[in-house]
Amino acid sequence: MRTASQSPATGAGCEPGFRGVICVSFATTDALQDHDTGGMPRHDLRFAAATPEAIANLRSVLGHSRVGVRVVLAGPPADVHAAASVAAECGLVDEEMTLVCDEVGPRVIFCGHCHTSTTTDHPIGTNVDCQGCGTTLIFTDHFSRRVGGYLGFSAHAEEAA
Amino acid sequence: MTGTALQNKAKPLLDGTLQLEVTSVSAQTDSITSITFGGALGELLPSYVPGSHLVVQYGTGANAYSLTGSGSAPTEYSISVLRIENGAGGSLAMHALCVGDLVQVSHPRSAFAPAATASHHLLIAAGIGITPVLSHARYAAEWGASASLIYVHRPGTGAHVAEARQLLGPGLTECLDRSSFQEVLTRQLTTQQLGTHLYVCGPNAFMDSVLKQARDLGWPKSLLHSEAFSGAALDDGEPFEVRLARSKVTLNVPAGVSLLGTLENAGLTVPNMCRKGICGECAVPVLRGEPLHRDLYLTDQEKDDNTTMMCCVSRSLGQELELDL
Ligand code: FES
Ligand SMILES: [Zn+2]
Repeated sequence: MRTASQSPATGAGCEPGFRGVICVSFATTDALQDHDTGGMPRHDLRFAAATPEAIANLRSVLGHSRVGVRVVLAGPPADVHAAASVAAECGLVDEEMTLVCDEVGPRVIFCGHCHTSTTTDHPIGTNVDCQGCGTTLIFTDHFSRRVGGYLGFSAHAEEAA
Repeated sequence: MTGTALQNKAKPLLDGTLQLEVTSVSAQTDSITSITFGGALGELLPSYVPGSHLVVQYGTGANAYSLTGSGSAPTEYSISVLRIENGAGGSLAMHALCVGDLVQVSHPRSAFAPAATASHHLLIAAGIGITPVLSHARYAAEWGASASLIYVHRPGTGAHVAEARQLLGPGLTECLDRSSFQEVLTRQLTTQQLGTHLYVCGPNAFMDSVLKQARDLGWPKSLLHSEAFSGAALDDGEPFEVRLARSKVTLNVPAGVSLLGTLENAGLTVPNMCRKGICGECAVPVLRGEPLHRDLYLTDQEKDDNTTMMCCVSRSLGQELELDL
């Protein structure tokens, strides 16, 4: 019954009604190579990035899955978080998702002022200029699964006030 | 102890109780009767969330009953009551009601609400557990939400069967015995689309078994909802210690003795009325520890806050609780 695709080049279908572990890897991560599924059947997906096609593919796999499934997302934070937000839209709750983010890599900062998303390579705790409104944003590890990004707040809010 | 109970008897049941009139009484089955309450002028009553219950006062006691309507702009509140011959008397009092009788009822309270984000509602009911679930089914039908129901009842003893069939059509699976239910349950627990929420109501053992099987099949806790019957026998619970911060004493609450009883034995006066977790009179403030909420009064949100508990029925999850008393 196991249909875990061993050549994870595409997101080709897993069996309809799948209730095992869907392991999604982005870019070059090998974090899930030895991922322990606790004896549950495993289905692998690998994408270069969270492109619209990759997301559509993930959506279709989730659409064929059933409650009981678990999703593990690994790779650069921006890709993992984009995928997590799509999985949440598909009805997955926190308990059903595991996020394994690369230590480095682009992150998405969600501007608390104009709601524009800005992608940056800067590490957590540093500043980035919002692409929407130009505000200098500081972002901490406050990640919102709903918007699929880290929340950024004006770095100079206190001085302005 | 009786002194406290008597002293509280004269007080209104809850803030803002409603006085309503019995507008209809109809037998559902040999032992289940539906009773409808309305205002004297047929006016609009407060709306409620599906799965809500009403506290109805009778004589010296009070009982909670699930409302069976959808809750949107109601002019009537309907409940269905199973007659329990050797119960505390609430169900017999309800069965004795006649059209035109006046009753005091609470505002509807919600503790079994449908999840707004659910992609599908899987409803599971056994026996009289159909009542809150019927409310969900009506609501889903009214708003075009996706819902299905597994209803376990013995032939000829099921309440609201015709309505369930009409509301759910092919989405209704009726099970007349245990083994057919088990088969249906296993199939349904393994074939639900993502985002399905499960709601179960029935005898405690039934609910425990459904919830356990769902957990074993990988259902996350946040998708599972259950509604205990009012007056269902609660187990004795584990013993725990309670520290009273202001009186600076620590008391032992043994298994089988309520926190309320323990506080009273220690000489404290705690307001109370129903002593079964439905009226809200016996609320005590929690400073530390995690209560094991077993009441029907607090909303889910209030229960999660863990800052207040109903000491007549609720206990402690951990070994110790600290109260602001
Ligand atoms: S006395 Fe009624 S809730 Fe405790
Ligand atoms: Zn901005």
